[in-house]
Amino acid sequence: MKNRILIVDDSFYMRTMLKNVLTDAGYEVVGEAANGQQAIEMAASTKPDLITLDVILPDNTGLDVLKGIRENDPDVKVVMCSAVGQEVIVNEALESGASAYIVKPFSEEKVLEIVGGALAAE
Amino acid sequence: MKSREQEYREIFMSEALEYYDAMSQHISELERNPQDQPSLNELFRLMHNLKSNSRAMGFTEIGEVAHHMETIFGLIREKQRDFAGSLSKVLFSGVDTLGTMIRAVGEEMPLPDVTTLLDNLDRLVRGEEPELADEELSDEDATRKLELSDLVYIQIKKLDHLLNLVGELIIDRDRILTLSKELGNTALQNTAAHLFRITDELQYSVMDARLVNVGSLLNKFPRVVRDVATAEQKQVELTLSGQDIQIDRNILQIITDALLHLVRNAVAHGIETPDERVKAGKAAEGQLRLSAQTERDDVLIQVIDDGKGINVEQVRRKAVERGLVSKQNAKNLDDDAVRAFLFEPGFSMAKEVTEISGRGVGLDVVKLAIDSLGGQLRVDSKLGEGTTFTLVLPTSIAVKGALLFELAERSYAIPLMHTDSVVSLMPEQLHIVGGVLMASIQSENVPVVSLKRLLYGEGPMPPVVRAEVQGRHDIIIIDYNNRKLGLIVDRFLRQQDIVIKPMSKPLDTIELFGGVTLLGSGQVCLVLDVPALTRLFLARRP
Repeated sequence: MKNRILIVDDSFYMRTMLKNVLTDAGYEVVGEAANGQQAIEMAASTKPDLITLDVILPDNTGLDVLKGIRENDPDVKVVMCSAVGQEVIVNEALESGASAYIVKPFSEEKVLEIVGGALAAE
Repeated sequence: MKSREQEYREIFMSEALEYYDAMSQHISELERNPQDQPSLNELFRLMHNLKSNSRAMGFTEIGEVAHHMETIFGLIREKQRDFAGSLSKVLFSGVDTLGTMIRAVGEEMPLPDVTTLLDNLDRLVRGEEPELADEELSDEDATRKLELSDLVYIQIKKLDHLLNLVGELIIDRDRILTLSKELGNTALQNTAAHLFRITDELQYSVMDARLVNVGSLLNKFPRVVRDVATAEQKQVELTLSGQDIQIDRNILQIITDALLHLVRNAVAHGIETPDERVKAGKAAEGQLRLSAQTERDDVLIQVIDDGKGINVEQVRRKAVERGLVSKQNAKNLDDDAVRAFLFEPGFSMAKEVTEISGRGVGLDVVKLAIDSLGGQLRVDSKLGEGTTFTLVLPTSIAVKGALLFELAERSYAIPLMHTDSVVSLMPEQLHIVGGVLMASIQSENVPVVSLKRLLYGEGPMPPVVRAEVQGRHDIIIIDYNNRKLGLIVDRFLRQQDIVIKPMSKPLDTIELFGGVTLLGSGQVCLVLDVPALTRLFLARRP
C-alpha cells in the first residue's frame, strides 16, 4: 500500500515542489496545509503516515503545531522542513518527537532519502 | 522537463510578488509602530520563504538579500536591534531592492548590483553603522510603483461551475435567437446576434482558462518508465514531445490512468529484454516515445514503442477461442479489425500477469476512459517493429461539434468525433451481403443499417431484402474502434456545436444515448452514443 503523506508549508511553491517529488516517487499526498490550524485539523482527518512540517508557519510556530499533531496521534512520523539558521528550533523539534529534518533548498534525492528513512524507522 | 520548470517559475514569480507586497505593507506598519510583533513575525516569515524559494529556483542573489534581511528582522524581534534611524532606511531600501530583483527575474532582465546593500546589511548584523549614499538619506521614493501579481490560483471546482453556467447560457441564447427570428423583430434580432457573439467569446474564454499543458502529465513519466524498466529488467529510453500542447485539465485527469496503463504495458510487454533485442538485430536499449500534438480541434497523444509488436494471428486465434467472432468470419477480417479485439472487455494477450502491468486490467479499461470523453483509441502495430497507441481527445469537454439529423420527425445529434463522412446513395449503390446492406465508401466495404430499425426493434434484425431498398438514402458513416458503420437517417439537418447535458434519472441507464441537448427551437435532442450503437449493431445484425 502507498504511504500517505500530508504536506504542511505556507509557501505554495514549496508545497508544489514537495508534492511533485513525493507523488513521482509513488507516495500518496493526502493533503496540503498552509497554516498551523489547517495542519492540525487535516492531520486528524486524513490520518497520514507521515507529515512534512515547515518550521516557520503564519499562525503558530512549527513547534506548537508539532506538539498539537503528536497529541492527537503520537505514532505519526513528522519530518521538519527548515532552512539554514534554524538549528535551534530543529533541535527542539527532534526532542519533541520529530523523526528527521530536511534543510531547504532541498534536492529531490535528499527528500526521498529522508522521507523513506523516516517511514522505515520504527 | 521544460514545462515543469515553467510551472515552478510561474508559481515562484506570483508568490514572490505577493510576498513583496506583504513585506511593503508590514514594514510600513513597523514604521508607525516599531514594536509591532505580528508585523515582525510576518516579515521574518516572508523573508524566510522568499529565501528558501529563491534558493530552490537558483536565484541565489535574491536568496542572499532575503537571508540577511531575515537575520536582522530576527534580531529586532528578539529586541537586540531597534527598528529606527539608519537601520530602518537600509531595511526599506532592502525591501525595494527585493521588489526590483523579483521583477527583473520575471522579465529575464539583469539583476541590480546588491554589493552595497549586502555590505550594509552585514554591518547591521554586526551592530555597526551602515554607509548610506546621499539619496538613501533623503525622503522616501515618491515614484514608487504599485504592482499586483499577474496570476491568481483558482480551484478547478469553480471553473467547472463556471463552465456549467456557460453551457446553460448557450442553450438559452440559442432559444432567444430562434424566438427573435420567429417574432421577426429587427431590434430583438440584432440584440440576439450580439448576445450570440458575446456568449461565444465567453465560452471560448472559460474553456481557455481550463487549459493546462499536456506536459504537466507527460513529465511524470520518466520516473514511471525508469521504475518499470528496472523491475522488468529492460533498457528503455523515453523521449517526450509536445509538452506545451494544451488540453482541458479534467480531460488530462481522466486519461491519467489510461496513459499510465499504456506506458507500463509498452515497457512490460512491448519492449523486449536486451538479449531478445540484440538477437533480433535491434539496439539493446528500447525506444519509447510519448508525444502530444494537435490535429484540427483534437489533441492526439501517442505512445510509441519499438518493441516486438502485436501478433495479429495470435489475436485472431484468441478472438475465435473467446467466441468473439466465428472462425469463418475471423479469416476475412483485416488486421485493423483484428487488433480492435484487444479493446474488448477482459481480452488480455499477456500470458502471465506481472506485478507491473496490473492484474486483470486490460485495454478495455483504457478504452472506456477514452470513450467517456467522446474520444478515440487506435492501435497500429508491425510485428517485430513496434506498436503505436493513439489517443484522440477533444480539447475541451463542454462543447462538442455534432451532426444533427432527423429520424421519425425527431431531431438527433451524433458527435463529429465519431463521424467519418456523410453520403447520399441510390439503391443501385447498395448491395446485400448475407442479409446486411453494404456500401462501398472510398473503396472500403461498410455495412449500412436503418437507424430506425436498429433503435426501435428488438432481437436479431431480419435480413434486408432488395424490395425494401427504394429511393435515395441519407447515410451517416460512423467510425468506432476501426469499425465503420453506415446509419440510414430520414434527413440531414446541419452541423452545430452543442452543449451535452447528462441524461436525468431514470433515463440515464439507457446507454444508447450519451446525453441530451436543447436546440434553439426549445426541442429536446438526444445525442447518440456511437460506441453503444456499434455494439448494438454487432449484437443484432442478422
